[in-house]
Amino acid sequence: MAEADKTGLKVLVADDTDTDRMILESIVKKEGHRVIGARDGLEAVEAYERERPDIVLLDALMPKLDGFGAARQIKALAGEELVPIIFLTSLTDTESLVQCLDAGGDDFLSKPYNRFILQAKIKAFYRMREMHATMLTQRDQIVLHNEHLLQEQTVAKQVFDNIAHTGCLDASNVKHYLSPLAVFNGDVLVAAVSPSGSMMVLLGDFTGHGLPAAIGAMPLATTFYGMAHKGFSLTDILREINQKLKNILPVGVFCCATMVDINFRTRRLKVWNGGLPDCFLRRSASGTVEPIRSTHLPLGVLSNKDFKDDCKHFELNLDDRLYMWSDGIHEARNQAGEMFGEERLEAVFADNVQADQLFEDILNHVQSFVGEGEKDDDLSLVEVRVDTPENIQSKGVDVNYVVDRGLLEWNLDFEVEQTSFRYLDPLPVLLNILMEVPGLRQHSGSLYTILSELYSNALEHGVLGLDSAMKETPEGFGEYYKLRTQRLEELKQGFVGFRFYLATSPTGGRLTVQVRDSGPGFDHDAKMANDHTLEGYSGRGIPLIKTMCESVKYLGNGNEVEVVFVWDNDDDR
Amino acid sequence: MAISSSISADGNELTIAIEGRFDFSAHQDFRNCYESLSKVPTSYLVDMRDTTYLDSSALGMLLLLRDHAGGDSASIKIVNCSPDVKKILTISNFEQLFSIQ
Amino acid sequence: MSTEIHIDKDTLMTLKEVMEEEFQLLIDTFLSDAEQRLAALRDCLARADSTGLRAAAHSFKGSCSNIGAPLMAQLCARVEDAAVAGELDGLAPALDAIEAEHKIVVAALGEL
Repeated sequence: MAEADKTGLKVLVADDTDTDRMILESIVKKEGHRVIGARDGLEAVEAYERERPDIVLLDALMPKLDGFGAARQIKALAGEELVPIIFLTSLTDTESLVQCLDAGGDDFLSKPYNRFILQAKIKAFYRMREMHATMLTQRDQIVLHNEHLLQEQTVAKQVFDNIAHTGCLDASNVKHYLSPLAVFNGDVLVAAVSPSGSMMVLLGDFTGHGLPAAIGAMPLATTFYGMAHKGFSLTDILREINQKLKNILPVGVFCCATMVDINFRTRRLKVWNGGLPDCFLRRSASGTVEPIRSTHLPLGVLSNKDFKDDCKHFELNLDDRLYMWSDGIHEARNQAGEMFGEERLEAVFADNVQADQLFEDILNHVQSFVGEGEKDDDLSLVEVRVDTPENIQSKGVDVNYVVDRGLLEWNLDFEVEQTSFRYLDPLPVLLNILMEVPGLRQHSGSLYTILSELYSNALEHGVLGLDSAMKETPEGFGEYYKLRTQRLEELKQGFVGFRFYLATSPTGGRLTVQVRDSGPGFDHDAKMANDHTLEGYSGRGIPLIKTMCESVKYLGNGNEVEVVFVWDNDDDR
Repeated sequence: MAISSSISADGNELTIAIEGRFDFSAHQDFRNCYESLSKVPTSYLVDMRDTTYLDSSALGMLLLLRDHAGGDSASIKIVNCSPDVKKILTISNFEQLFSIQ
Repeated sequence: MSTEIHIDKDTLMTLKEVMEEEFQLLIDTFLSDAEQRLAALRDCLARADSTGLRAAAHSFKGSCSNIGAPLMAQLCARVEDAAVAGELDGLAPALDAIEAEHKIVVAALGEL
C-alpha cells in the first residue's frame, strides 16, 4: 500500500449533479486529499481502474450505470484489497439502504453534506483500509513462513534421513519403525557395525517437541557413526555423545536412550539404558521375555565426570530377539484416553505364536488400539534378531568386512627442546593424540600416569640432573621443586624425546612408548634391583607404571626407557 | 590445576579441593593449605571431585600431608575419587594409609 | 418536517468557506442547473413519465438541500414521493410552487 498519510489520499467522487460534486470535491480537497471526479457510474469504474483511489464516494442514482452497479464492479476490480465505498444519497427508505449495502457499500453520507462528518468518515475508512492491508501483508507473510517451514522440514528430514541411513538399519536381521511425527518429536534411531563386528544400535528420545527436540539428533547421529566406524566402544561413544549433548543442549533438554552392542560372533549383548522404557529380550528357545530396565540417567544430564557407563551383559542364542522402543508405544492413547501401557505390550508378547510376526504384531496392536482417526502417531520401535554373521545382509555396509581387516600400525616422534621446557607441557598434546585411538580412550588415566612419570623422570633426573634422594624429608621435597624451577631457568641445553609405536587390531592393541633424554643416564640395573623400599616421599612412579604395563625396561646407559602398554577391547573396566 | 581449601567453623576440619591435574606444580599451593593454619586441625578431607589425573609426585604430597598431620595417627579422608584416580591410589596401596571414599 | 426557510444562511456561509473563490461558480452552476431541472420536471409531467419525474425531482432535491434551499428541497421531495407512488394527477400546482420558490431563491442568491 502507498505510504500516503491520512491527508494525502486519493478520493474518487462520482455524482451526476454538478453542484453536489463541486461541493464534495471542495470538502475533500480542503482536507488535503486528491480528488478524481466522475459524472456517472461508467466514468467512476473507469476512473477507479485508472487511478486506484483509496476511497470511493458514489452517488446512488446516476445515469448510464447507477451507484449500485458501479460499486459491484469496483469491488470486483479491487479483489482482496479493501476499497471503502461510501454512498452519497438522499434516499432514506430502508430498502434503498439495504440495496447500497448489498452492492458492497460500506457506509452512507446523506445530503446536505456535513463537512465534518465526511472528513471523519474518510479518516475512519482509511484506517480500516490500512489495517486491512496490514492484515493482508501479515497473512501473506504467514503463508510464506508456513511454506518455508514446510520446505525446511522437508529438507531437514532429508538431511536427517541421510545421516540416519548411512548405517545398517536395513540389515536383514533388523526391523524398525520410526513414524514421521516421531522424528520431529525428537526420536532418533541409528545403527552401525563396528570394526570388531559388533552391531551398535542406539534409540534416543529427546525431551520436548518440534525443532528443539529434533536438533539434538544431528550431533548424536554424527558422533555415533563417526565413532562406531572407527571402532570406539559403546561406552566411549556414549560418553562422547553425553558430553556433546551436555554442552550444547539447554538445561531441561536431554535424551532418553538405549544403546546396545551385539556381537554376533561371540553372541554377546551389552546394553546401556538411560531413561527409556524396559527393553525386552525375547529368548528363542523358551519364548520368555527378559526386561532390561533403565538404570541410568538420560544422555546430556550429567557431566562426563559423573556419567555412569556400566552396562548389562547377556549371553545370546540364535534367533533371540531384542526389542527397543520409546515411550510412544506405552503412551499411545485410544479414543477413551486410555494408554496402551506395559500390560498390553506384555500381552502381545504372550499371545504371539509366530516370532517372525512379533514386530508387526506390536505395531498392529498399538495402531488398532489408537484407532483410525488418530493422527498423532508417535511410535519408534526396533527389533534386532540374533543371526549368524554370514547370514546378515545389509546394503549400507558390509557387516562382515571386519573379518579381513588386519593390523593398523603407526609411529610418532615427538621431541621437546631445551627452549620450551619452561612453557610447554607435552602431556595434553600427546594424550589427545592417543585418545583418538579406538580402545585407548578408556585407559586415559593409566596413559596419563605412564606418560607423566616417564616425562618427569626424563626431565628432572635426566635433563636437570635432580636427585630424588632429596625428597626424603619434607624440607627436601620443597627444596627439590625449588631447585627444579631454578635449573629450568638456567637450562642451556637438553631435550626429551618421545617415540610411540602403535599397533591395533579389531580386538585390541599394543602401544610402545620410548622416552629418551639428553642426560648422562644411570646404573639402571642396580637401581631397579633395590627400588622396592618405598619409604620416602618419592620413588613411586616406576613401580606404579610397572603395574599398568606389560613391560618397563631401561635401555643403553639408562637415559632411555621403553614401556609396552597392551589392551584388549573386550575388557570391561 | 587449582587448589582451594576451607576450614570448618570449629576449626577442626580442613578441606582441600584439587581441580584438574594433581602433579608437582600443585606442590607449593598444597603445602600452603595446611602449613599456614594458626590452629592445627584434627582431621583432613582431600576432595578429588574435580581432579582428573594424579601422578607420583601427588602421592608424595599426600604422604607429606599425612606426616604433617601426625603420621600413623593422622585422620585424612580422600573423597570423591574418579575411577582413574582411585586406581592409582589403589595400586599404590594408599588405602592402608588413608581413608579413601 | 416542514420548513418556511427559503435560504439557509448558515449553509451558504459554510459553503462559502469551503468553496472559497469557487463559491460564485457553484452558485452560477446551481442556477443554470436549476433551469434545466425545472424544464425536465415540466417535460416529464407532460409525458406522464413517472420514472423520469422521480429521478429529476430526486436529484434536484439533493442539490437544493446541499446549496441551502430547504423549502425548495422539500417541495421537490413532495413531487418525488408522488412520482414514486405514481400519483401524477394534480402535480402541476406542485411544479408551480417549485417555480415560484425558485424565483425567490434566485433573487436571494443574487443578493449575496
